Amino acid sequence: MPILELQNVSKSFGQLEAVQDLSLTAPAGMIYGFLGPNGAGKTTTIRMIMEIILPDRGRILINGHLNTSRDVLDRVGYLPEERGVYRKMKVREALEFFAQLKGLKKSEHRAKIETWIERFGMADVQTKKMEELSKGNQQKIQFLTAVLHEPDLIILDEPFMGLDPLNADLIKQVILEQKQRGAAIVFSTHLMESAERLCDAICLINKGRKVLDGEVKKVKRDFGRNNVILAYDGKSDFLKNNGMVERHDDYGNYVEVHLRDGASPQALLAAAMQQAEISRFEIVEPSLHEIFLATVKEN
Amino acid sequence: MDKMLTVLRREYVSRVKTKGFVIGTILLPAFMLAMFVLPSLFMFLKSDKPKQIAVVDQTGEVFEALLAELNEKNEGGQRLYNFAKPKALSEDLDAAKKTLSDGVDKGEWDGYIIVPASVYEQGFAEYYAKSVSNFRENEAIESAISRTVTEKRIQRSGLDAEKVRQLVRRVDLQTFRVGPGGKEEKDQGFTFAIAYFLGFFIYMSMFIYGAIVMRSVIEEKTSRVIESVISSIKPFQLMAGKIFGVGAVGLTQFLIWTLVMGLLSLYGLQVAAMFAPKMAGAQNVALPSVSLGLLIYFVIFFVLGYFIYATIYAGIGAMVNSEQEAQQMLIPVSLFIVVPILMMTYIIGNPSSQTSVVCSLVPFFAPIIMLARIAVETPPFWQIAVCLALMVATILGLIWVVGRIYRVGVLMYGKRPTLPEIFKWIRYA
Repeated sequence: MPILELQNVSKSFGQLEAVQDLSLTAPAGMIYGFLGPNGAGKTTTIRMIMEIILPDRGRILINGHLNTSRDVLDRVGYLPEERGVYRKMKVREALEFFAQLKGLKKSEHRAKIETWIERFGMADVQTKKMEELSKGNQQKIQFLTAVLHEPDLIILDEPFMGLDPLNADLIKQVILEQKQRGAAIVFSTHLMESAERLCDAICLINKGRKVLDGEVKKVKRDFGRNNVILAYDGKSDFLKNNGMVERHDDYGNYVEVHLRDGASPQALLAAAMQQAEISRFEIVEPSLHEIFLATVKEN
Repeated sequence: MDKMLTVLRREYVSRVKTKGFVIGTILLPAFMLAMFVLPSLFMFLKSDKPKQIAVVDQTGEVFEALLAELNEKNEGGQRLYNFAKPKALSEDLDAAKKTLSDGVDKGEWDGYIIVPASVYEQGFAEYYAKSVSNFRENEAIESAISRTVTEKRIQRSGLDAEKVRQLVRRVDLQTFRVGPGGKEEKDQGFTFAIAYFLGFFIYMSMFIYGAIVMRSVIEEKTSRVIESVISSIKPFQLMAGKIFGVGAVGLTQFLIWTLVMGLLSLYGLQVAAMFAPKMAGAQNVALPSVSLGLLIYFVIFFVLGYFIYATIYAGIGAMVNSEQEAQQMLIPVSLFIVVPILMMTYIIGNPSSQTSVVCSLVPFFAPIIMLARIAVETPPFWQIAVCLALMVATILGLIWVVGRIYRVGVLMYGKRPTLPEIFKWIRYA
């Protein structure tokens, strides 16, 4: 049984159809990337999962139960896109408050909070007010409130937004641990790099509709194209007018070349060697970034 | 339920622990005391400086008597009013006035009194001074002249002054309040004070605690913490926890005040006597006391009134993005709270008039008006019952409506909703 299941969910705001007929499933022990351009309906969908707004049509099941009961939602952890804290509350009190809101008793959350504070290096600020903390630390605390009660489903809306690399890495570690523990993690982002590295499966939505869905490996295979990463010194004429290259993305240090169907990477290499000094040649799967761009443009 | 208690506890603890709570608990009664006591206190403060007052006695016989009559002294034992006959004054009254007025202007005199020869028949005397707005002073002078002149009139008519005084002695009206069960109790004018005081207390509480609830809602909205909270608890439970939590803060404050007042009425005079021996004579002054029945009614109306206004304030908080934005929407609400206070004097004077009865049944006015009626007269029980029933119904209705506004409103940032939009929220939430 999947931990999260959306069945034909739709929601509109006035004229705007924010989410249309969306179905998806997120199983346990997997990280599920919820991708899409700005305004695609990601946050609306997540808010419907958390029963913050109600869908016009469709059903949302968590652990097989409708999400209309807060007992069901107690098994979910949520980091909203709109970050916010009780500014006047002390760090520790805030963590205790949210743990209790999730139905944890004092005896249950005490040790957990202790451990997390230690691990996040916040022992010396735990009696400070939230407003005295840096933005990054505030965000870490808010992230903690989403995982503290060891939920079955963790929903993270843009979890890495605004974090420095050190903290982003810490959060990534925790996400991976939660996956090991057997939680299903749904995380929304428009940053393809972090999705690429973390996700086992993705769902791509655009203008409120699902356009792509499935395990990352399968999505890439279905996308069906070989790409070549090429770093060179010299002329780049070989990339044009040779019948092999559909298009290419120049990243400065290297180019990602998208070959036409049936074109051979070896033939491209041969052509390139005649004109330039090749320092890197690699046949790669299409990146999520490329899949994202191609799919969104197609739509 | 557990979650609502969690929110309740947070609201309660986070407020009771603050300096603001301690200060508010001390300041509010101090403020109210000041509002009631200071004006009368100032009114009765004697000015210390003796006044030099010239007396032009055209009758030629009231001066000595007046001197004896108006003999108030200040703290230092000096006479407050030093009367003197001005020397070398023109026989012509207008010229004399001119001279004396110049004297007042130059500060030779503080004022002057003219007792004309016609005072026995006409009954007019004149008092001139730079300021004639001190009612207490005017009254003292007036009654002194009045008594002196009356005395002389009696003497002139040949009657026995002592006898006449006995004959015209005034009658004091003593007032007794007939309470429930026909029990009579002597009223010393406290009923009015108590009714007014309780009404005023509720009036201030509705404003203060209502605003706290509203600020709490706005704070969660503006800090964006609301989304995390609302994903763990139903909006309705959150709103209820908030209202109960702040209400508990109010009751705590009220309890502290009641205890302090109780102790004061039991031991206050002894303590005061210890510190100020002069006040020992005040031992037999009765302090206003509130009957247990009235106290219970007070708590009931306080709680129900609080729920009405706290719910409205919560709804307003949910609709706006900042306190400044809330101000406009608060005006009609404030009117509901202010109008009964403006009507208080009338209501206390005419507790059973049709207007009073009707107004006391309006749930928004009832906390102040019905309570005032109960304090002065104890209206028929059916009226109280109807009033309470209407209030409870209003609260339930408000909770239903505001609960819906709250659910949608707390997640709406940016533009303030229009009235049609709010109706839409209520219908579809």
